[in-house]
Amino acid sequence: MARTTHTTHTTKWLIWLTGLGLILALLVQLGCTREVEVVREVVVTPTPQPGAAPQAGVPQATVAPAGAGLATAAPVPVTPATAAPQAAATQPPPATGAGSGGGEIEEKVYQLGISADLTTTNVWAYLGPDTTIWNQYVLGGGKPALYTYSAQRYDWIPSLAADFPSALLEESVAGQTYWTTEIALKHGVKWSDGQDVTAEDFLFTAHTAADLELTGNWPSIVDPEFFDHAEALDSYTLKIYFKKKPGLARWQFGLAFMPIFSRAYWAPVVAEARQAGEIVEQQKVLYSHVPQDEPSAGGYRFGKWERGAFAENTRNPDYYFTDSVVTEYAGGAYAEAKPGVYEFSAYGETGGDKTLEYTVGPYADGAIYSVYGSQDAAVLALKKGDIDFMLNPIGLSRGLQEQLQGEDGLTTIENPSDGVRYLGFNFRRPPLDNKAFRQAVATLIDKEFLTDTVLQGVAIPVYSMVPEGNRAWYNADVPLIGQGMSRAERVAQAVALLKDAGFTWETEPRVSEDGRFVEQQGEGLRMPNGEPIPELTMLAPGPGYDPLRSTFAIWIERWLNEVGIPLRADLTGFNLIVEKVFDQQDFDLWVLGWSLTLYPDYLEAFFHSRNSELEGFNPGGYNNPEFDRLADELLEETDLETARRQVFQMQSFLADDLPYVVLFTTPIVETYRSDRLEFPYTDNLGGLQDAAGLTTTVQIK
Amino acid sequence: MTGYLVRRGGQIVLTLFLIVTLTFFLVQAQPGDYAAFYAFNPDLPAEVREQIRATFGLDKPLWQQYLIHLKNTFTGNFGVSFGHFPRPVIEVLAERVPRTAVLFLTATVASFYTGFLLGKAIAWRRGGLLEYTATISGATLFTVFTPAFALMMIWVFAFKLGWFPVGKFLDPLVWRSAEVSANYVFGFMLLTAAAFTVFAFLALFVFRRAGRLGKGSLALPVILAGGLAIPLIWAFSGIGGLALDILKHMVLPIATLTLISFAGTMLLTRNSMLETVREDYVMAARAKGLPEKLVRDRHAARNALLPVVTSLVYSLIFAIDGSVIIEGIFSWPGTGMTLLQAVRTEDLPLVMGAMVFIGLFALIAHMIVDVLYVYLDPRIRYQ
Repeated sequence: MARTTHTTHTTKWLIWLTGLGLILALLVQLGCTREVEVVREVVVTPTPQPGAAPQAGVPQATVAPAGAGLATAAPVPVTPATAAPQAAATQPPPATGAGSGGGEIEEKVYQLGISADLTTTNVWAYLGPDTTIWNQYVLGGGKPALYTYSAQRYDWIPSLAADFPSALLEESVAGQTYWTTEIALKHGVKWSDGQDVTAEDFLFTAHTAADLELTGNWPSIVDPEFFDHAEALDSYTLKIYFKKKPGLARWQFGLAFMPIFSRAYWAPVVAEARQAGEIVEQQKVLYSHVPQDEPSAGGYRFGKWERGAFAENTRNPDYYFTDSVVTEYAGGAYAEAKPGVYEFSAYGETGGDKTLEYTVGPYADGAIYSVYGSQDAAVLALKKGDIDFMLNPIGLSRGLQEQLQGEDGLTTIENPSDGVRYLGFNFRRPPLDNKAFRQAVATLIDKEFLTDTVLQGVAIPVYSMVPEGNRAWYNADVPLIGQGMSRAERVAQAVALLKDAGFTWETEPRVSEDGRFVEQQGEGLRMPNGEPIPELTMLAPGPGYDPLRSTFAIWIERWLNEVGIPLRADLTGFNLIVEKVFDQQDFDLWVLGWSLTLYPDYLEAFFHSRNSELEGFNPGGYNNPEFDRLADELLEETDLETARRQVFQMQSFLADDLPYVVLFTTPIVETYRSDRLEFPYTDNLGGLQDAAGLTTTVQIK
Repeated sequence: MTGYLVRRGGQIVLTLFLIVTLTFFLVQAQPGDYAAFYAFNPDLPAEVREQIRATFGLDKPLWQQYLIHLKNTFTGNFGVSFGHFPRPVIEVLAERVPRTAVLFLTATVASFYTGFLLGKAIAWRRGGLLEYTATISGATLFTVFTPAFALMMIWVFAFKLGWFPVGKFLDPLVWRSAEVSANYVFGFMLLTAAAFTVFAFLALFVFRRAGRLGKGSLALPVILAGGLAIPLIWAFSGIGGLALDILKHMVLPIATLTLISFAGTMLLTRNSMLETVREDYVMAARAKGLPEKLVRDRHAARNALLPVVTSLVYSLIFAIDGSVIIEGIFSWPGTGMTLLQAVRTEDLPLVMGAMVFIGLFALIAHMIVDVLYVYLDPRIRYQ
């Protein structure tokens, strides 16, 4: 009886308290909260022009993400993010009132998914030791630069600069010889704190980077070997002094792309840093600063960072380029105009067919970058409508693409990437130094069979070190060794090449009558000097790291073995390959990849003989004086057209000489919510992620 | 006991030293280093690449780097993270630990409580439908492929039914206007949990001392009232809505974690109970005519608790370790994901910091369990 009483007593308490709890929970839900209900506004007005601006901070050149190397190409050259001209307002626009009453805030928010959190909000650090693609996606758009790339076509165009710079002049100042150039800046471009963006801001940024010897990407932007100092002839005229004549890579595609920071905001921080003692300590002080309300001159300004969860950029209502109309013509001309403010055109006469036209935004009130720990979760969020677009430097995997196929409101796009996977040779070890041998190897590799049949189209065959997607610099006339040949023709061609070069067999390879397979494998292949070819090892990433490259490696091994070349594919870890190839140069052949920059000065880095020392970028030891001469000329070239001719020539040279057999590239596949977004264009080298999701030009429906 | 604790303290320091040393050399054994990330930029001259190595202290000989890390560890300063340069490691960890702790401590408690209740029940009524159902479903969930199961949970409950969010620990649209950080709210959540635990223990202690813990005791209602005061306090804290948003995001990962791990505790409890129910004192209790529930809960289950409590304490401590899989799939950025990312990028100070942090907690957990034994089982005495 006592037990029953106790139970009843407790039950009463439980019921009473549960009721109380529910009431309290309701209280919590209804009141005492600070959340703002956000209603997405549906725009029903017709779109004037799909807008895309000279993208502020568009990662035109690939920046190596910490994790991306694990899934895609291997060593990644890092180049600066560029910033386009932008201007700003004095007050942040937290929301756009829609006048719907009820105190609701109606906003159009562009929701993006990213796969890793930011590591800093300090712009000096993000271009320094904290270089990640995720930092770049979020932070890359707020700073102006003198010049930038045009959308899609990558023409070199003025941004903060009013026009192209004056030609480089050699002049002597106080007994010192310099190469100088002058640049006029646009008037009226403002930081979001209301101050003008002036030549002083450029001076401050460049001199800080040089004086504090900032690391990471900074030396490739402000190269101390070339940059000496800059002067402000007046608030809107700059004069830059170079220690020696800078080529396109150091000036037009280097310093001219430098993001410019607000002097008014950063000067006290830099002054404090300069007091910190040694350079490393000075850098630490600068990088440690956590910006609060740092002025922006882009379409957005940095809003908020909730670590591990999301970052937000808010619209800058007084962005200088808002309402600018950008037009690209089939004839090559580029035009940009903001009625009553400025007009600019270049690269020929405007007129004729337009290939692209858009009006610059931003059209969204904010851009939220939500962090997802896995692509699977992000894809579900995309399907559910939690996000509109995913930023990922490697795009969507095949499995996820299939998941998204046929989903209502989603559109999938495919773009080429600016990167290649290649097979490299160690020229120090015969017969790899033999051009005919390398050409025979290239002939035997049936790239189309692998990419189309084996890999079912997830890779694209490539023949030049400049991928086709890089339209401005790609040479379409490079020799396409082996393309279109049957297996029998490939074997016959390879045998002929080797025979002509003096190679001999004990047993020559023989192809079956139907030409589909090698029925008699070649044996006893000897080099022109009569010595047998030694056992060759080809280092390649394993399938866990990159199934595409490992598949290529396995087939290359098979095809070479068929003609009697004793090659063994060693599928191993990425770091081990790097160590053996770059640090020790102890290898025969290797398969890796490069993410590339738009301006192809990397051709010099990868193939000039001076870079063949240990830890250099030419580990194969390729040494051709004729190519070296071309590469040296390219480095010093200041004229775009001449440089283009040189690059074309270098591509042809390499496609014939074959220090690398360029194998393939992978398309970037992306999916976005087309029921919410309207992009001004979707064809873009590296995909829309390479344009940071076109935040300043995307229209939110 | 004091002598024992001193000896264990010495052992902990020695073991910690071994953990630090082993971790350092294991990470160093990987090819390449953090600076290699920058080494593959053809635009950087060789001297700049060297300067980058110097920035991270990677230009120093290995033994010097080891000594620096040793010093950093034992002075409580874990150095500066390479990947979050120049943030101190301790700051990065302090940011991640509360998030992991809130999620995994809750999940661990939920999982153990579920497992203990079920284990107790199926051991008491052997051969019944409940035993078969619980054992088969528990074992199935225990052995299920975690990533697939977690994704399935998201797909069903978040995507198809739309009951819960698809991962993450907060909704950006709710938090974009928040004036406090998520860690601030997490901190208060942990504080609330700790305060409630202390309150509950104190209540039990007071009622026990007063001899009022038996039938008709007010202990349970008092504790429940304390528990229900929590939402009231949060309602007037001004951050209640934010906490509610976090709680909403916690449901699915906690449910997943509980489902995949309760079986361990259930089977442990069951086995332990099966031994105790054969004991003479249980038979004696039955012979006295005590109700079955009382015999089960007070006489059998309490004595079967020892291995379960041991397991619980270890699990609670290792909860700060998080889980790379669960954190990754539910986009819950805690210590597990941080550690994985640090290992991938060879962020040595962060790896060391995380490992030492986890190692230290594990060592302390062992000591707590040893001490708990004395209180749970009066037969145990340390010399």
